[in-house]
Amino acid sequence: MKDAEARVLTSDSSVKDIGSTFKSLRPHYIPVASEERIFKAAYRQRLAILIKGPTGCGKTRFVEAMAHDLGRPLITVACHDDLTTADLVGRFLLRGGETEWVDGPLTRAVREGAICYLDEVVEARQDTTVVLHPLADHRRQLQLERLGVTLNAPREFCLVVSYNPGYQSILKDLKDSTRQRMAAIEFGFPTPEVEQDIVSHESGLAGAQAAELVRLGQAIRRLDIAGLREVASTRVLIAAGRLVVDGLSMREAARAAIAGPLTDDATVTRGLFEMIDVYLPDQRA
Amino acid sequence: MSSETHHDGVARLGLLASAIARRPLRVAPGERGEAAWTDGKVVFVDINESARGQLESLVVQASLLAAGSLDPGIVQRLGRREALAKRYLAVEGHRALATLEALLPPSSRSLLDARLARLGDSPEASLAAARSREELGDPPGSFGAIHPPRLIASMRSAEGTRSSRRTVTHQQRARVELAEGATTDDAQEDPFASPVGGGGAIGKWLSKVLTAVRQLRSGGAPGGADAPTHWTRARGNGKAVFSTATTGDIEDSTGAGKERGRKYPEWDVHSRHYRMDWCTVHEVDTRSSKDAERFAIPDRTGLRRSLARLGLGIDRYHRQAQGDDIDIDAVIEARVEMMAGSAPDEAVFIDSVRRRRDLSVLVLLDISGSAAEPAGQGGTVHEQQRAAAAALMLALHELGDRVALYAYHSQGRSAVSLMPVKRFDETPGADVMQRIGSLEPGAYSRLGAAIRHGTALLQDLGGTPRRLLVVLSDGLAYDHGYEPAYGAADARRALGEARRDGVGCLCLSVGSSTDIEALRRVFGASAHAAFARPEQLKQVIGPLFRAAIRSADVKRRLE
Repeated sequence: MKDAEARVLTSDSSVKDIGSTFKSLRPHYIPVASEERIFKAAYRQRLAILIKGPTGCGKTRFVEAMAHDLGRPLITVACHDDLTTADLVGRFLLRGGETEWVDGPLTRAVREGAICYLDEVVEARQDTTVVLHPLADHRRQLQLERLGVTLNAPREFCLVVSYNPGYQSILKDLKDSTRQRMAAIEFGFPTPEVEQDIVSHESGLAGAQAAELVRLGQAIRRLDIAGLREVASTRVLIAAGRLVVDGLSMREAARAAIAGPLTDDATVTRGLFEMIDVYLPDQRA
Repeated sequence: MSSETHHDGVARLGLLASAIARRPLRVAPGERGEAAWTDGKVVFVDINESARGQLESLVVQASLLAAGSLDPGIVQRLGRREALAKRYLAVEGHRALATLEALLPPSSRSLLDARLARLGDSPEASLAAARSREELGDPPGSFGAIHPPRLIASMRSAEGTRSSRRTVTHQQRARVELAEGATTDDAQEDPFASPVGGGGAIGKWLSKVLTAVRQLRSGGAPGGADAPTHWTRARGNGKAVFSTATTGDIEDSTGAGKERGRKYPEWDVHSRHYRMDWCTVHEVDTRSSKDAERFAIPDRTGLRRSLARLGLGIDRYHRQAQGDDIDIDAVIEARVEMMAGSAPDEAVFIDSVRRRRDLSVLVLLDISGSAAEPAGQGGTVHEQQRAAAAALMLALHELGDRVALYAYHSQGRSAVSLMPVKRFDETPGADVMQRIGSLEPGAYSRLGAAIRHGTALLQDLGGTPRRLLVVLSDGLAYDHGYEPAYGAADARRALGEARRDGVGCLCLSVGSSTDIEALRRVFGASAHAAFARPEQLKQVIGPLFRAAIRSADVKRRLE
């Protein structure tokens, strides 16, 4: 399944895409608990939304599905530690000897009444969150200092931020004043049955083989050891599944897509290879 | 296949065992012909078994641990009766496998007998079934065995360490504290001194004492050594502050140290005042024994990477005269100015500047007798701490920071010994490694005096505006007339003094079984963390360093 994706060229390369508008298929998302109801209620009540959860558990996919359901365009910004306020709000550019204001992704979302999704928001510089404050609370305003303009967000606009609480950051955390302006939805990994369904749907792998990958993933998630960067997420299981569909054996695919990305530590890698050999059969799909 | 590689093959299953048992678990070859068993930390498998048999017994033993079948309460009730343990295993093994069914490797699922698994829904029920007269039959050979006496013995020795190990990530998270909050509780403890230096009588006296100690710096070191820390974000010329301490200083201080030692006050928590010139610290050379065990240079790539990620590493500066990216805002302003007819500012680049050379770090390594205790993860606490200290020292040196490593122990207040393993201006070569290798734990630890001396060394010889003291200790402060409560108060006090003098403090405890409360008593509000193995250092070191440095920065800004 491929969503129609419109790439948008702006001054900022971190703006990924405006994708999955309501004309296309709904992105595959299986609700686990009440997250869809919470999201839609918060949207209707014009509250900003905070999504917490580990890497690769489906946060982005969830927001895409919600944007599709609500019929709003989605603007995604992947935050990084060099993201400045100007990158979000917009800046003056030179064009033919004249300066011209170009909206940043956040401003565009406010103007268009889109859903603006700031992925990994803690990665952004602390001062960028200041611009989010008036937007996230009852004022729902975006102040464009350079232009001397204050934009009132339309009803349809929604601010969604995500962050990964366990992500190498003991001190990097959202400020309380920011958190309190949002409704929070907590994500975990889906249950084995649901995860098997997701892996098989996303990769095209047969159910039984997907189940074996999920079983391996569940076992790796129980490890609490140094040297493992992150746990085996649904995302890496899907990647392994896709490699199997393309003709690799289960073991080859798991080594390449699960063990490799998770660690650089030679001992841990050996251990993971051993686990893969125990859990997965050697034959090709 | 030689038996050597065969053993390695067994050990490699450790990760699988840890995943199933949900706790760190090693796999080792057992005695020849002995059925597989576990002591809670290691699964011993029968090396005569086939690979498949070994795997099965490993899965069963790990499942038993995960399902709580070998919890102390149950094992104690099994006592020494081998027959009962066998019957218990026959029932409980299946129950444990059943609770983990969703996780078991495909090849091991055939072991599960649903009828027997239904006999018990908890370890207690399985034990009751084992005690009944029901015909159970022997457990399959691949289940291995349960050895209650050995399990109990191993649990006793692990009692202390286990609680701290299991929740280590949460603790690490919870225990990172900034010192801002702490300054206030220091102030509460001490009515005489204000956070900035003290206007009271004792504060004045103290500052006099400390100035005398500092005299080396004010006399000898060039004034630029203590340059302002805060880089101007706009327009830097890119030159980092460089170390300026001269070797002359070092000769001076060590010469003085050898003859009469330095005297430091000590905080008496009972009478709430300082005991003047109470402790004498001597710098002594390490006895480099010829047969010093060859010390393996630890791997520190991961550590270096986490330290390099610190804010001290590369930072981006706007409006620079040269750089690797264009500062769009600056370019546009320049164009606008040019069109308006004025001379534009040509500094229109964003540059990545390293400003890490403004950090000096002194690592204090505890080599008191308590460090000779076995660590939770094999080896002794001393070995673990030593590896961590060496890795940290090497990583910081390779990143270009000024770093020194001193080991300490004490024999009463007049004989606190600090052994320079690596001084600030030394390059860590074979001689330094040899010195690390010949460190042997012994005597006691008067932590407070060691911290005070470390702080003084950093102030005299650090030569950089940012100074950081890293204490590697099991958190047991004990000496003659230095009982734990008194020692903890003094150590806490000494750390507070260091922070007040603009030296960041970071306390690390590696592999020791000291519980968190005890560590907190000793290290107080300083950033501190405890972990089981030196390799875990790299995961927490970045944020900890940042917190410690920031706590000292706050102080400097007040000045």
